[in-house]
Amino acid sequence: MRRIALVIPVLIASYGLRAQDRTLQSDTTTVLQEVKVKAKAKKKIKTDLKLAVSVDEFLASSQSISFIKRGAYAWEPMLNNMSSERSAVTIDGMHIFGACTDKMDPVTSYVETNNLSTVDIKSGQEGSLHGSTIAGSIDLQRENTAFGLDKKVGGNYQTGFEFNNKQFFNLAALSYSGQKFAADGSISFRQAENYYDGNNKEVKHSQFNKFNSSVGLSFKTGERSALRVDAIYDKAKDVGFPALPMDLWLSRALITSASYKQLFEDGIIQLWDTKIYYNAIEHYMDDTTRPENLVHMDMPGWSTTYGLLSKIALQRDSYRSEIQLNAYDNLSIAEMRMYPQDRSNRTMFAYSWPWVTTRFASLSNTNSWDLSDRSHVVLGGSLGVNYNYSKYAEFNWIFHPGAPQEKTRILPGLHASYHIDIAPFTLSAGAGYGHRAPSISEAYGYYIYNSFDRYDYIGNPNLGNEVSYETNASVGYQTGRMGIQAKVNYFYIQDYIVGKILNMGSPMNYQSVGVKGYTALDHANIFNLALSAHYDILTHLHWKGSLTYARATDGSGGNLPFIRPISYQTGLQYMYKRLGIQTSLQGDAAQRDYSPEYGEDKTAAYQIWNASADYTLPARKVNMTLQVGAENILNAYYSTYADWGNIPRMGRNIFTSLKINF
Amino acid sequence: MEKIILFLTVLCCALTSCTKEKTDYEAEIDTIVPERSGFKEVTQFQSGAYTIRIDALGGNLYKGYNKVHVKISGQGQAPVSAATLLPIRNGGTAQAHSCPHSYQLTYNAGQGYFEGYMVFTEASDPLSQWDLHIGYTADQPYRVVQQVPVQEQDNKNLGMTSFTDRDGAQYILALIAPQKPKVAENELVAGLYRFDTPTAGATAPFPDPAQFSYSEVQGYTILLDPRMPEPSMGNHSSPNNKDLLHGADNLYHGVVNYTMTGNWTLNLILHNQQGDLVRGTVVPDDFTPGVVGVKSELHIDILF
Ligand SMILES: [Cu+2]
Repeated sequence: MRRIALVIPVLIASYGLRAQDRTLQSDTTTVLQEVKVKAKAKKKIKTDLKLAVSVDEFLASSQSISFIKRGAYAWEPMLNNMSSERSAVTIDGMHIFGACTDKMDPVTSYVETNNLSTVDIKSGQEGSLHGSTIAGSIDLQRENTAFGLDKKVGGNYQTGFEFNNKQFFNLAALSYSGQKFAADGSISFRQAENYYDGNNKEVKHSQFNKFNSSVGLSFKTGERSALRVDAIYDKAKDVGFPALPMDLWLSRALITSASYKQLFEDGIIQLWDTKIYYNAIEHYMDDTTRPENLVHMDMPGWSTTYGLLSKIALQRDSYRSEIQLNAYDNLSIAEMRMYPQDRSNRTMFAYSWPWVTTRFASLSNTNSWDLSDRSHVVLGGSLGVNYNYSKYAEFNWIFHPGAPQEKTRILPGLHASYHIDIAPFTLSAGAGYGHRAPSISEAYGYYIYNSFDRYDYIGNPNLGNEVSYETNASVGYQTGRMGIQAKVNYFYIQDYIVGKILNMGSPMNYQSVGVKGYTALDHANIFNLALSAHYDILTHLHWKGSLTYARATDGSGGNLPFIRPISYQTGLQYMYKRLGIQTSLQGDAAQRDYSPEYGEDKTAAYQIWNASADYTLPARKVNMTLQVGAENILNAYYSTYADWGNIPRMGRNIFTSLKINF
Repeated sequence: MEKIILFLTVLCCALTSCTKEKTDYEAEIDTIVPERSGFKEVTQFQSGAYTIRIDALGGNLYKGYNKVHVKISGQGQAPVSAATLLPIRNGGTAQAHSCPHSYQLTYNAGQGYFEGYMVFTEASDPLSQWDLHIGYTADQPYRVVQQVPVQEQDNKNLGMTSFTDRDGAQYILALIAPQKPKVAENELVAGLYRFDTPTAGATAPFPDPAQFSYSEVQGYTILLDPRMPEPSMGNHSSPNNKDLLHGADNLYHGVVNYTMTGNWTLNLILHNQQGDLVRGTVVPDDFTPGVVGVKSELHIDILF
């Protein structure tokens, strides 16, 4: 098994997500399990503190992920302190693009914890397997039950109530494993009202309602081949975004795929897995709940993606390789209709995404050689072609006369790393180089209002590729009772895309103070450091701690926005028979290096204390766990550096949950 | 298994139909801007042995700028060598007056008609109408008068305005293009005309062209500042506009960018050849949500 684990660089695999422990749960292994008909219990998606978490809460437990929060729902994940357009976020390798110009719907908002088996986070160019990236990749991997397990039917049910925002959730999942047929299904409901901050003040427009369901069916088509169809349907309705001037009325996603896997017994080729996929997202914002708004606007958005993914895994002796072909076609449309004060007058219309098509194809390859029992080398690369077409390019020509209506870019990527294991130390060092194409908003966006710095943003079709040079290293020390790990990475990013004030045009959205155009800085530097340690004080008493530090500057020494200040977390976990007790303290230091230029102000330090207790009921066939806990026990009033518009975070929150596995 | 796949396919189709329909962008502008394609007959009448036919875009004459084709033909008659056109407004309380027009029509040999234009300053109403005084030369000079209906301008992008300068000279500024603006860079074309105040009394029988003469103003500059006057738009403007300059065709050419559909105002400032202000005021450029946009004293409204 260790050999397989090495296929995916260990450095990244251990990035701090517990459930992701050894990316062994990756497709390759799952399929190998199918052959060997050996079931392996998967680590459940949970955090140290909470057994029943949302996808966002789960991701937040990773050291490399931070979040921009616009409310209680659909947080925008930032990988290595870089915003979501710099990372490749996929579901089982499938590309999905949110339909919201205001980033209300990151890809992570379209899944639910009970249909995920693991989340695979890769830093930097190691994440280029699924497509071009700068910051890395986040692959949300779904439950995928193998054929012929001893346990034919399995399932779990989670329910819970969180007192602060009266969040009530019900999540259920069922799986079936037969000799010729296997199936996974899940259904979930979450409903929450407004939350209260640390001053017991209601944060208006922070409610949410989410429904998610998924189904996956596998058919064994031969001794070593299988066909699988998957679908996820997600619906969020009446979701408040307290930090934005409007809320979400409805967002729906349908994510479907069909894949065919073929395993090979002899020869260098181990596996060939091909998948076609289709997903459609619709997103409708609503400002009628905000009477303070001077202007009523309709801002619907649609995003449709077709794609193909084909992967071959090779192995011979100490050499392993993965070759992946990615291709997709996305059409993103966003409209903006403003209503005059006198409704009998004509409405005003424009496209904020003027029917932008993106076509992308890439071939990527990762190779791993064992140099000895203790060391191995990983070498990989990808070459992508990115094509954009703006159907109503006349919108783009208003600010960029004569800009091309279509543009093709070549996006190369390379990475290499060396890993060595000299007990009790593990060491690794790596480097990478990669390009990314500007996002739809960056290249073709039109008057997209950013309520953080209160500017209307204009895309620039002439933008070049963003080019990243990165290095990374890690050191780990592990003995029987304790472990400590340090990871650093540094990105030098050429032509880093940001918004700069344009001294032409005038705002369109009435809250706006001016117009910014996307442009490229000469370069930017981003440095991330993550330390983590654990120590087993007693057999049943464990300590864990972590610290992160990041620093990012533009070429002229100014600070970049949304860079996490020093953050820390320390926690104790005690287990006694069926009882578990855990407590943690977490916080950020004051934000010293904030960026007024990008609308940031200095955010004060904060510290919150959490605790929970769980008890597993003695039962034979079913495994039933009850949990009670509280987050922010001292009801601290705080907001973090990445809370949009400085909206306060949740105050004291008492949570309860019941989890049944069978 | 087939049934399951069929079921999934049906489910997919049901779920992928959108909740709200996308805007049909092309139709969006069509609903408010009337399409006038091709020259069609406005009127046709007999003048002795000759038949005179007047064509205009869409078959109607409107308040504002109208390009016209005048076809004068007679079976077996001498060919027409020259033609003149003089619109006169009659009736009502005002004394007879004209509007900017091309008195001497130019012959388009390829198409066999005369070309010219008229910039009607008012639409016809029950009390006063427009008469076209047409003169043409074949074997001998002929004259004929024909009343034509002039309709209110229903295209809000072909507006006109009239004003006087400090010396009392009367000007008329009329938009010619774009007929159908887009959310884009639009080539802006306008005609600028000045009434030639007669220096002496009428010397010819009514209508004496010298009493009703307008000339195309040359070499002026029209500064352009387009803004959305709607209070909710807070005096919104657009970038990359170009002032209107006098062109070889005696019209004024510039570029206007519209950032979205809706109500716009072209705020204008007119300067003469020497760069002296003729008419127009600078409008505020600050963003003032909730306030109706201030317009220049020289402006033309747009709606598309
Ligand atoms: Cu949105």
